Amino acid sequence: MGIIALNGYVLILRGNGILKFLDGISTNLVEGNCTTVFTTSIAKIIDMVEIIVMGEMVALVGHGPFKNQIVTHLSKRILGSNITIADASASNQIMLSTLDLVLDDSVTKIKTFRGWLLVGPKEKCPDVTMTNDEFNQYRVDNILPHQGHEITPNVHPLACGLGHLVHENKGCYIGQEILARMRSRGRQGKRLSRVENPAEDATTIGETHSLVLRK
Amino acid sequence: MECNTCDSAPAITINVPDVVQVNLTMTPTANDMLASAFGEDRSHALLIGVLSGGCSGYMYDLQIVETTDQDCQELDVDGFRILIPNATSHLLDGIEIDYVEKMMGGGFKINNPGAESSCGCGESFS
Repeated sequence: MGIIALNGYVLILRGNGILKFLDGISTNLVEGNCTTVFTTSIAKIIDMVEIIVMGEMVALVGHGPFKNQIVTHLSKRILGSNITIADASASNQIMLSTLDLVLDDSVTKIKTFRGWLLVGPKEKCPDVTMTNDEFNQYRVDNILPHQGHEITPNVHPLACGLGHLVHENKGCYIGQEILARMRSRGRQGKRLSRVENPAEDATTIGETHSLVLRK
Repeated sequence: MECNTCDSAPAITINVPDVVQVNLTMTPTANDMLASAFGEDRSHALLIGVLSGGCSGYMYDLQIVETTDQDCQELDVDGFRILIPNATSHLLDGIEIDYVEKMMGGGFKINNPGAESSCGCGESFS
């Protein structure tokens, strides 16, 4: 396949105990680089983000249209701690590659479940080689959710293919009570599925198949 | 990755809530338990803080301390020293400190009229 530019944000967090802070308010176990999901207290998605540890700082890479919600969510919970947030979105290009590329050192490359996430200065990033349609086809073929399609504020992580980012025994986090109850009772509601076209409820349409969230 | 460490990259402004002068009450049961814990010594204080996290967003954090480096307001409730960190005072105004016995043992319980919801175990609120 290739490389696509994502509409994303990069937030830089500085201060003491950032990983512990993020661990306490997101679904996955945050001990270092990882993908995790921020949810509301009723387990609806705020955003799925990539956490990248950069020495004393931590970068959060998420979906551009969800940036304000994530900043508000984090800001409310900083309380008296010394954590600060800076927005480095404008100085970074965010890309996703389906191939493991050799890149300039200034470009951060992180392997994720959807491919390799690339974050770096625009002039150092590789060229885009994949159209949106090709990216959608790649996602349909591999049943991969994406923000704005399957990953929206209307669903919980178990319903849109992000169950692997919901840690089963990390302890309390925002939304945990509801997600744990869904799992323990086997009532997860909708699930991300790949179905043959046509599908009226498609969240992503491919050439022959589509992605849907169905019970 | 560009981390924006230069001066030209402004930090996102985090709106810090106003400090609220907290009013709180204590049930007779909680009063008895604190009297039992402190004895005649009133040099220690009950620090009622709030941490982010828990199922609903925030968790109470109760500690018995002599001093703290947190910026706190000190209240005198029935002769007991109660410390409330100013950074979380907006979440604690109007609370009632109770003490309840459960199957798993007893513990202080915060009844918070400002909490929109709380989780099943009662440890977390939003």
